[in-house]
Amino acid sequence: MTIPQPPILRTWPRLYAAVLLSLAVEIVLFYALTRSFF
Amino acid sequence: MKPADWLVLIGTLAAIVVYGVWKGRRQRRLAQYLLADRQLQWYTVALSVMATQASAITFLSTPGQAYTDGMRFVQFYLGLPIAMVILSITAVPIYHRLKVFTAYEYLETRFGLPTRTLTAIIFLVQRGLGTAMTLYAPALIVSLVLGWNIHITTLAIGVLVIVYTATGGTKAVSWTQTHQLLIALGGMAVAMIVAIRSLPASVGFGDAIQVAGHMGRMNVIDFNFDFSTQYNFWSGLFGGLFVALAYFGTDQSQVQRYLTGETITQSRLGLLFNGMVKVPMQFFILFVGAMVFVFYQFVAPPLFFNPLQSEKVRASAYAAQYQVLETEHQATFAAKRAKATELVAAMDAKDSAAVERKTAELQELQKRNDATRKEASALIRKNDPRADAADTDYVFLTFVMQNLPTGLVGLLMAAIFCAAMSATASGMNSLASTSVVDIWKRLIQKELDDHTYVRISKAMTVFWGVFCIGFALYANQLGSLIVMVNKVGSLFYGTMLAVFLIAFYVKHVGGTAMFWAAVISQITVFICAATMSVAWLWWNVIGCVTGVVAALLIQTFVRPVRTTVHAE
Repeated sequence: MTIPQPPILRTWPRLYAAVLLSLAVEIVLFYALTRSFF
Repeated sequence: MKPADWLVLIGTLAAIVVYGVWKGRRQRRLAQYLLADRQLQWYTVALSVMATQASAITFLSTPGQAYTDGMRFVQFYLGLPIAMVILSITAVPIYHRLKVFTAYEYLETRFGLPTRTLTAIIFLVQRGLGTAMTLYAPALIVSLVLGWNIHITTLAIGVLVIVYTATGGTKAVSWTQTHQLLIALGGMAVAMIVAIRSLPASVGFGDAIQVAGHMGRMNVIDFNFDFSTQYNFWSGLFGGLFVALAYFGTDQSQVQRYLTGETITQSRLGLLFNGMVKVPMQFFILFVGAMVFVFYQFVAPPLFFNPLQSEKVRASAYAAQYQVLETEHQATFAAKRAKATELVAAMDAKDSAAVERKTAELQELQKRNDATRKEASALIRKNDPRADAADTDYVFLTFVMQNLPTGLVGLLMAAIFCAAMSATASGMNSLASTSVVDIWKRLIQKELDDHTYVRISKAMTVFWGVFCIGFALYANQLGSLIVMVNKVGSLFYGTMLAVFLIAFYVKHVGGTAMFWAAVISQITVFICAATMSVAWLWWNVIGCVTGVVAALLIQTFVRPVRTTVHAE
């Protein structure tokens, strides 16, 4: 059974990477926010 | 609450119940009743998954945590997006292809009936208690702050949930959850806007963030590694990853949500959306708490936010001592307000030396205020040793009741009730599914027609609803039980995750090895929990790693077994 590609970003690996990238960006932003006060 | 608030609250709840009953009408087949006929689209799956995890306590307690401890609690969710990716790749295709109704049904194909039954029973016990707490905890807080009878509040929420969950099944649960989550988040946004708009004219949004930051409430990330610290980057990323894998991958209350997806793609998209949105959502809820903290730098907060305990100590032999603390608290607040105003003026003037000086002075006053609150808490405990001496859970609701205009109070109460109902509905719905599919249909009556199983499922939903209400009413007598039940999940999640990981990925490990590995893993977690000062998030990691390693080792000593169904 083949799984169709997702409707956005064309492939599943790209979509997974986007989720992980968004986490990385959030961590960087949170760190920047924390560092600006501590 | 004013009549307008009651109108908003009752109107919202009535609309949700009627909508749920209408949406879930005419369900005759078990797949319809328990899995919404596997017809839901990704956005319904996503919101349903998120609403299941976000109970009323999320919306009541989390802002209070930011108020007292800052925003570092958000780190608990850092492992969740990674878990969503892993589960999308692995669990979702396996569950979909096997067309299972429950997560435990899959385990029989790998390890046999005893493992399926054992995990199903562990789930029923754990989730039964957990759902009762989901019902009890908000009912307690709402009742105390509003002076309502807790039994009536618990019954009201419980009965409303039973009505639409029993009649409409999973379809009703999932569809109502989408609306409930949006109402709850809308309520939080309204509360944040009110908190910011109620600040003095000289304090803008940017100033509010600066004040929160200078007062230590923007401590979002902490990279220091410490096993005993509850929330730091490492415990959040690794401990949180294991919790999320176990919760979303093995807990039927969540698995059932994404089993309703029309295709693997729809279920995957639902989970991945949760992975992208969950961390910002928790950040937002904590941010609301930080803004409430700033609000209370300019408007006097009560000394202790739990009104029942305050009243009890005022009527006790410690009343005079408590009065002294209240006077001290008021004096410190007046000094704090003046200093906070000076800090904002210094920030606006871009005078960094003055900002530094005023920040130090304000922090000193905050420490004095914290010490007074600690003394008040100790006095409350002295007056009643069984009293809950923490008031974090009451901060947000106190803010809502004392500062929101008429109508919006009703909206916020509706938001809190919606959150309580959505998490409770998922719990009851999954308890009924497991009871029917893994116990009744598998062990008691195997050959009934689908329509009869639907009727049994409805009866089971009512049974678990009554159980949860009953336990929630009983929990009123056992104050410290809440903490215990919250942690009890982490005692078992590691072992459950080990069982599923071996089932998914290590085909040569059989039922015997897995059974003994699970026993060893569980004993190890119990010993760690009882003897070591390890933060509870790590119990999940310890249980899972021990279970996997033990299964692999034991399998080398026992005869290999052939499995009937394999994961890909």
